[in-house]
Amino acid sequence: MSADGNTKIKLQSNDNAFIELDRQVAERSILIKHMLEDLGEAALGQTIPIPNVTEPVLRKVVEWCEHHRNDPPSTADEESDNRKKTTEIEEWDQKFMQVDQEMLFEIILASNYLDIKPLLDVGCKTVANMIKGKSPEEIRKTFNITNDFTPEEEEQIRRENEWAEDR
Amino acid sequence: MAPKRSILSALQATSMVESKPVLPAEILASILDYLPVSDMIRFAKTSRRMREMVYDDTRWVARLKSMGCWDELEARRRFEDAMKRKRETMKRASIAGQSPVSARGANTTIFDAALEAERRNKAIEEAAQPPDIRVDGFETLSINAPPSKSPFEDPEALLEVLKNVRSIRGHARQEYGKIYGALAPFYFDLVQAKSHTDPILFRVFRDPERQAQMLANLHTFTKSDWAQGWREREEKLSSMSHVFESAVLREFEQGYEFWDVDGRMKRYAHVLHALNGGTPAIDLFISKHPIFNDREVLANSMDCVNQAARDEITLEPSQKFFDTLSKKLGEQNAVMTRIFPNPATVFWSLVDKVREDIIMDYVTPLLDETHERHLASYLKAASGLFEQCFAFAKLLDAPAGSEEKLEEKLEDRAKETALKVFEPHLDLYLQEELDFFTKHAEREVGNWDQKLSEQDATVESFYMKNFNRQADKNDFLSSFKKVVMMPVTVLPNIPLSSPFGGGKPAPASAANSSSRRPVSITGTPGSSRPQTPGLGTSSERTGTPLPTEAPPTDELKAKAALMASRLEGIKTLFSIEVALDLVHSAKTSLGRAAVFMRLGGQAGGEAREQCEAIFVVLLKILGQSHIKHGFTKAVDHLSYYNPREVSDHNQAGVAPLVTFIELVNVGDLISQMIDVFFDQQMLAPKIADRNDFLDPAGLAKKKFEQMLDESVAAGLNKGIDVLMDEVEYLCATIQLPTDYNPLASSNEKGISQGPDIGPTQTAKRIVELVSSHTNMLVGSTEKTMLDVFNGEVGLRLFTAICKHIKRQRISTDGAIKLIADMNLYFDYIRTLKNNDLQAYFKALRELSQIYLIDAKHAKEMATIIADGDRFGGIFRAEEVYEFAERRADWYQVKRDVERAMYGLECSVM
Repeated sequence: MSADGNTKIKLQSNDNAFIELDRQVAERSILIKHMLEDLGEAALGQTIPIPNVTEPVLRKVVEWCEHHRNDPPSTADEESDNRKKTTEIEEWDQKFMQVDQEMLFEIILASNYLDIKPLLDVGCKTVANMIKGKSPEEIRKTFNITNDFTPEEEEQIRRENEWAEDR
Repeated sequence: MAPKRSILSALQATSMVESKPVLPAEILASILDYLPVSDMIRFAKTSRRMREMVYDDTRWVARLKSMGCWDELEARRRFEDAMKRKRETMKRASIAGQSPVSARGANTTIFDAALEAERRNKAIEEAAQPPDIRVDGFETLSINAPPSKSPFEDPEALLEVLKNVRSIRGHARQEYGKIYGALAPFYFDLVQAKSHTDPILFRVFRDPERQAQMLANLHTFTKSDWAQGWREREEKLSSMSHVFESAVLREFEQGYEFWDVDGRMKRYAHVLHALNGGTPAIDLFISKHPIFNDREVLANSMDCVNQAARDEITLEPSQKFFDTLSKKLGEQNAVMTRIFPNPATVFWSLVDKVREDIIMDYVTPLLDETHERHLASYLKAASGLFEQCFAFAKLLDAPAGSEEKLEEKLEDRAKETALKVFEPHLDLYLQEELDFFTKHAEREVGNWDQKLSEQDATVESFYMKNFNRQADKNDFLSSFKKVVMMPVTVLPNIPLSSPFGGGKPAPASAANSSSRRPVSITGTPGSSRPQTPGLGTSSERTGTPLPTEAPPTDELKAKAALMASRLEGIKTLFSIEVALDLVHSAKTSLGRAAVFMRLGGQAGGEAREQCEAIFVVLLKILGQSHIKHGFTKAVDHLSYYNPREVSDHNQAGVAPLVTFIELVNVGDLISQMIDVFFDQQMLAPKIADRNDFLDPAGLAKKKFEQMLDESVAAGLNKGIDVLMDEVEYLCATIQLPTDYNPLASSNEKGISQGPDIGPTQTAKRIVELVSSHTNMLVGSTEKTMLDVFNGEVGLRLFTAICKHIKRQRISTDGAIKLIADMNLYFDYIRTLKNNDLQAYFKALRELSQIYLIDAKHAKEMATIIADGDRFGGIFRAEEVYEFAERRADWYQVKRDVERAMYGLECSVM
């Protein structure tokens, strides 16, 4: 199906920008891939609206897809596998993810919506790296979390997790 | 998505940009997966929702699982116990609430009240119990708080931490926390260490045992570390423990060189075992083991060939070899138990190595050599060595205190060992065994055929004497059974075997010659010759490869020879000797091949199939080439038989028919022999399955029996023809015309008349002839077939007699004789116990009375002729009329009779 990688697909972003890309690239998104499979040839000429994603984010995502167009499709049992062991982020992806935090979150959300598992993983790993070594307060700031603990609770949680403190 | 942007919407947009996008929970959860444990806990401190997410039990169960510390069964049991307890408490609570009411309602029964009170007491006790029974799921977190003192102060506890993990649902985090608290400091310290002396681990624990234990723990722990960089950390840990391991291994090796079993070897073997199972130590121990250079053990397998006579093989040296090996391994067994914490593993590894290096080296050249030199000794060597090897493997006893002690486990081990040794030889051996047997059998039959064709095939002047066939057969079969049931011993267990074996042919040939003597007296000198190849080879065979079996075999041989001499008449057709010999060599081959069946599995299956193949070949050669051939020939002889060409008719039987019937007897004997053989050799060791109708051996046997039956049937068919030819010939030649018509031809009162009212010579001869043949068959064929045969003979005899009567002219005086004859026939037929036949002959007897009626009583005669009932429906009136025409005075009475019959005066002619 994706053999004729030259067929063009047109995506429409949230803010009405149009982005044209090869079908093979577009099919990195499982969402689009399934959609194209379901609709068949008739859909090819049409524009696919991506209502939740703004143009800059969509362009960023497409850039990633272009670069990874020839990656082998992710295996089904990856789910259980990546829980086991984390692979390192490859260099190109590291550079790619060097964006501001807002953009990073947007990319993660977009890849989640478009169902691009590898990109989502890279995003999550990047966020994980970001958090590493940060204090709870810093983490709250990063993720926009409000502290709803009472001081007693805070004390308790500290006590019961003493084992993880020093390293 | 407003088509035109109002200021408001633009404002909204800006506010949205300012507020940071919030990631949904599922994404947060997957981010958590990538976090190191310490960061995860910090994450939990941010808010309640995050705490829930981090504390999620599955997250921690997964980590415990990755270390192999989570027992789902235990968890479930705990959970169920907790639920049960909870339910009980609930019930108790409700009972307690109700009890005042129920007590009041049923206070008449004292027992109930007592019971109630007891129950209440218990409930109170339960409630008073210290909270430790609530460990299950309601445990307060404070209990799980880590020990406040630094872990370095209590190193012993740290070592055991992995063993003390409990699998409790809802408490996986606490359990993991315990492990993490104990191991993580060492882990991260070790990972960051620059050199192998740095890590705090080696300073906290001084002795190698504990260091090894801790390293092993860390190895387990690293499996639960899947945050980024785990690969480097694991590698670091591995290289560290590798350094440690090689140091320990060096110590072990030094201890090994000094054979310091209970000192250094034992200590460092335990250290290595604690570290990672101690494989390197085991490998080292085995590869350097002195047994592989032991002169005593490393025997030369060629001894087996060299110590034996030409083209022979003796398995004593190999037995010695296996004995020595077994003894040595037994000694090692004890040593290993002293050195290793897991002696069984080490022992079996050593056995594997011994198998590969010593046994294989011993067995393979020997088999290759014998295969090139002499096939028979190869077959013997293969089977014998296997037997020895299997026995050796079975003797191996795992060191005490291991689960390998179990019987079947050992059995499996033995099978595996034996299989591995013989796997490369098995196919070749089985093929050779089958080929060997096939060739032998074919040669045997071929030899015999050739010998036969050199002779005049028609020398059959001599045939059976009167002897008790049934008894002889039983006698023969019982000794055959005895031989077949003898266990096949391919091993020369009796050390005296070789001189014994050498002396064997003497008694065999003695029996041989004694049995041959009557033959040479009674038969032509040439006729004893075909026996020689059969007997000669078989006694040779039994004398050499199967020395222990010699005595019963000889007994059987003697009987066989005796049998053969009695069955001289059919020796030109097929020989029971040959059959016996074939069965015997089949048994030898089977016995050898069946040894391999014990292997079980695929190899055992192959061996079993080959055993069946041997049996099938036996039946094929014995049946198709030997017996069938004989039968065909016998039937041919029968069909060529022409009574007119045989000068001497005074014997009690027709020579070829007698021969044939003897053949049937022998065929039956062989068939029974095969049956016994099948039972003992195929069914008893479970080579063939009687219930499996697709089993090739069973099929072959059935086919063989069918073939035999068909041959017998075909022969009997011919035999009846021949018998009747003979009967008719006798009738035609012996019966004098005056027998039944004395008045007509011998007016001057000749020959024997008057007082002699017995049956005629002819009838006596015929009855004698027929009965002698039918009697011969009794006990040799199936009852049904015999019945059919007898029925057929009876009917044909009936027809022949009818025909015969119609050819005679019978006077009233002669009628007496005729009646006497008919009575004789009837008496004979009665012995056959066949009701249908009796009716025929009864009719015949009635019929003969019409000749007795005086010419004056033509009317009565007519009544009798017309009376169908009188003849039991056998003869119609017309037929009886025809018989009546044979009256000597027929033309005088004809008119009267016809008048009486048809009631009118007319002349037929």
